[in-house]
Amino acid sequence: MGTTITYTEHQLVSLLKQRDNKAFEYLYDNYSGALYNIVMQILNDVDLSNDVLQEVFVNIWRKIESYDSIKGRLFTWMLNITRNAAIDVLRSKSYQNSQKNQSISEQSEFDIGGKTSQLNVDNIGVRKVLEKLKVEQRVLIELAYFKGYTHEEIAEIESIPLGTVKTRIRSALIQLREHLK
Amino acid sequence: MNVNDYISSGIVESYVLGLADEAERAEFERMCAAHDEVRAARDAFELSLERQAQADAALPPHHVKSKLFAELSIALAATPEQELNETKNGLNDPKKGFNVSGEEFNDVGQGVNASPERGAKVVSGTGWVKYLAAASVLLLVASTVLNFYLFRQYQDYSERYSSLLSSQTQLANNNRALQTSLDNYQKTMGFLKDPNTSVIKMAGNLVPKNGSPEPSSLATIYWNKSSSEVYLLVNALPKPASDKQYQLWAIVGGKPVSAGVFDMDQADAMLKMANIPNAEAFAVTLEKYGGSETPQGAMYVLGTT
Repeated sequence: MGTTITYTEHQLVSLLKQRDNKAFEYLYDNYSGALYNIVMQILNDVDLSNDVLQEVFVNIWRKIESYDSIKGRLFTWMLNITRNAAIDVLRSKSYQNSQKNQSISEQSEFDIGGKTSQLNVDNIGVRKVLEKLKVEQRVLIELAYFKGYTHEEIAEIESIPLGTVKTRIRSALIQLREHLK
Repeated sequence: MNVNDYISSGIVESYVLGLADEAERAEFERMCAAHDEVRAARDAFELSLERQAQADAALPPHHVKSKLFAELSIALAATPEQELNETKNGLNDPKKGFNVSGEEFNDVGQGVNASPERGAKVVSGTGWVKYLAAASVLLLVASTVLNFYLFRQYQDYSERYSSLLSSQTQLANNNRALQTSLDNYQKTMGFLKDPNTSVIKMAGNLVPKNGSPEPSSLATIYWNKSSSEVYLLVNALPKPASDKQYQLWAIVGGKPVSAGVFDMDQADAMLKMANIPNAEAFAVTLEKYGGSETPQGAMYVLGTT
């Protein structure tokens, strides 16, 4: 049985930069759950999510040098790596093909709940908070955050002006912050 | 734009969640460096985001961790799960078990030399107990998770079921109401189509002597001589005062026989009146509310059969 060690974020980052194995294991034990959630929310597939999570931690280990605490917290940095990795998979050809067999409704951008076959991912994290937003805002956050579309793509998908996309996303984000508090 | 407006514009969240574009990111980083308030707002949002994410964290399967650490060639600190896996490997290889026990028999003869190995086996024996304990805990956790999941599903289905049930009840009620009014229409249609049903027009200008107070008044009688049924359709009659009611009369052998009073509020429907087996004419008079034994008021319309 290991002894329980806790690090401050500053200690953890500097140990990671020195390639400290224990610090990395601590990092994994403490953050893999939260990051796994975000992957599951985007991909909603256990096997794929396992692969992506592994890739994410490999990247964190290899790219820790490029983490700059001036720009934000360690978790935020990891969250963005995670989200980007999951969205890359989501938008990859092979994923799109594997999803083609599913019904149109499951692919629809209005499918806010995201049909779940393995785990109920609707009630966790940002998605849980999303429930509290208006439908038109929720759709935009879903497309922008969970599907990784750019504002221009969203304007086209939803047939609304680019400026409106931007303001709606911003106002949705402000409400999200209130609900996260 | 002042700093507070900038902070509350949504840029903080946009930046932290990775939704800001290149130009916005660069500007935000400049603003963070220049204004402590911006930085504080960013820190606060990051922290609440992290807290929420941690609160909702669900651990990935253990094999993800072992595969990851193997790939990075990092030795993991021994964890109970790992021991468990090793024990499991031993279990999966029955040959090993047999060989060990075979050796044990041989060892008996070899005496003292065998004792270190035997010590090792005692340790592996407690490993078995640990394995069983760990396995039952895992099983319990798995079944709790499964129960929770099934319970959620059950809740979901029962909610959907009761909402379906209530909409079904409502539909059935609507259906019944429609059926009733359809039945009425069908009855009316059947009545009208019956060759024994005759149509008698009653008009204001057919009223003799003083004439009708409203000569343009008009009403229609549908009378089936074989069943004696009488239906009245008001085409045009002035609205009576609230203490008055119209009364329909059949003129039988020169004498008026009441066929009932009627209100004007259902005046666009066919009104079922009293059965009349024989009549030379029909007439409508305006009477006191509730009607009269014999006609007292003015005759509005008259029609002969």
